Amino acid sequence: MNTFNDIKELVTALKREEKLISEMFSKRKSIDYKLNDALELVDYEESRIDLLIQKAVIRQNGDFLELDGQFLEFFEQVLYVSEEINLSYIDENIKNIKENIVYFLNESSENRRYAYLRFIKKTFRNMGLITLRSVVDMRRNIENTFKNESNYKNKQLKLENLDEKRTVVTNLIQQTLLLINEEELTFFNRALDEELGRIIIELKNQLGECSHNLIEIEKQIIDYLNQIKQQGKFLEKLRKLKYLKDNFIIEAETNIKQIVSNKNEVIFETKPNESINLSIDFLREDERAFNAIKRIAKNYRDRLLFKPEMAERISNDYLDNNIEEEIMVNLEELRNRFIATSDNLFNFILNYDFLKEVEFNERVTIFCQIISQYEEELQIQDNYQTTNGIEYAMVFSR
Amino acid sequence: MITKYTSEIFNVLRKGQFICSNSPDDDIKKLYKVLEDEETFEDLHEFFYQINYILEQGNEYYYFSRKENNVDLDRKLEKAFNWIDILDFFKTFDTSFDVGFRFSPSDIVNQLKNNADLKTKLEKLKKVSGDKKTNSERIKKIIEKLEKDNFISLENEITETYKVLTSFNYLKDIITTINIPEEIENEIPE
Repeated sequence: MNTFNDIKELVTALKREEKLISEMFSKRKSIDYKLNDALELVDYEESRIDLLIQKAVIRQNGDFLELDGQFLEFFEQVLYVSEEINLSYIDENIKNIKENIVYFLNESSENRRYAYLRFIKKTFRNMGLITLRSVVDMRRNIENTFKNESNYKNKQLKLENLDEKRTVVTNLIQQTLLLINEEELTFFNRALDEELGRIIIELKNQLGECSHNLIEIEKQIIDYLNQIKQQGKFLEKLRKLKYLKDNFIIEAETNIKQIVSNKNEVIFETKPNESINLSIDFLREDERAFNAIKRIAKNYRDRLLFKPEMAERISNDYLDNNIEEEIMVNLEELRNRFIATSDNLFNFILNYDFLKEVEFNERVTIFCQIISQYEEELQIQDNYQTTNGIEYAMVFSR
Repeated sequence: MITKYTSEIFNVLRKGQFICSNSPDDDIKKLYKVLEDEETFEDLHEFFYQINYILEQGNEYYYFSRKENNVDLDRKLEKAFNWIDILDFFKTFDTSFDVGFRFSPSDIVNQLKNNADLKTKLEKLKKVSGDKKTNSERIKKIIEKLEKDNFISLENEITETYKVLTSFNYLKDIITTINIPEEIENEIPE
């Protein structure tokens, strides 16, 4: 694999492509970086990208570019933004220290002993920092997982795994403290070194802080897990109740009736209907009441239209008794009168006083009526006379 | 007159509403603050007790109950059943539907496209949604129902964002307290 020849070359290369690398690093989570976008950041000199690919700083994947894992990890580690909590690293360090302590104790050459001691000091210093960072990372990861992980089961699993990591870190801290306080007493007695003393005190301080943080983290995880569990349980319960309800057996199979019947919350009641009568004094004196009355009265104004229209008075004239008399011709009476005379019928009717004006034509009609009604009592002769242009038979009573 | 808010508190609670700590309504929030004072709470409790209302404190919310029950069992059961249906619907929409959850009707409408389960449940909720034609109208109706019972509240009119209030804990409590006997539980399919 083609790689950089020395640090200087590496740093210079990174420095030259600072723009591209920092951009790719900041976008490492959100998007896949396209070759085209990258070209813009290297002033369209493809050779510069090719060089980076050659030196395995970035990798090409079809049209996309990504930072090489090794570099990515390095940047994350150095910038304290690592998502991964690498616990094996701490474990390794403890082992290394133990080994080096043995070497130190075995070594008689002052020079080499010093080299071992230097390594031990460096590792101790690192351990404090790494442990502290793991704790900080863990806390952030827990928060993130709880808030952002949408998959329910995964959320729970991830939190449980983080909890396991927490136990591991706690164990590592204990191991480290055990190493310092009990296991390697001889070493600490022999290696009388002021700097080592300071480092150990610093380390103990850091580990103490970590322990406190871990206790807090443990509480947090338990709380989160409980919340998830409760939510899950709640959902399960709800689904079961829904199933029972949909199958119409909820009342028979659960104690819902009993539970609900003990509930006297107002929320179950229908919304109260305000039917309070207004105070008369209020209506009389308050300006608002007056306004309200006026407003409501307006609504009633239109109703006048619906009032039935009244007829005018009936005049008294209509109410007076009015008698109208009509004189009727009584044929029966007329016949009786006629029978008592010896006149002929036509002449008799013509001269009869009817108590009212009776015209000639009418008299003729009456003449005909009497003949047709009382024919049997009359004697109709064959001789005729003419009056007013009307020819009539002579009729006498029998 | 215990505080100058007594009548306001009474007016809200008497309607069967809740006074929630996370209500978007500033007035309600103010009332919550008033009730949070332990001494005021005690005084008000005593005061309302005289007129047959019991001021109760739940998990981040206050509400009224009665000394005696004056609602028949059927009505209560029906209400509880309604809640189960609606809760089931919203939990199907999003399992994290809980206190503080925010959503808008359009979120649910969108979900309908790719959540067949939700769609079936919406169909079955005709009793609540009425005979509305479109899905979004139906969903609005269901949301209204929950809003009327004061478990959610409109937070932002422009974006139509609703917020789940702390009174939701009350619903959860009811669900949790209902006991399903173990032998029945085993018969319910997963």
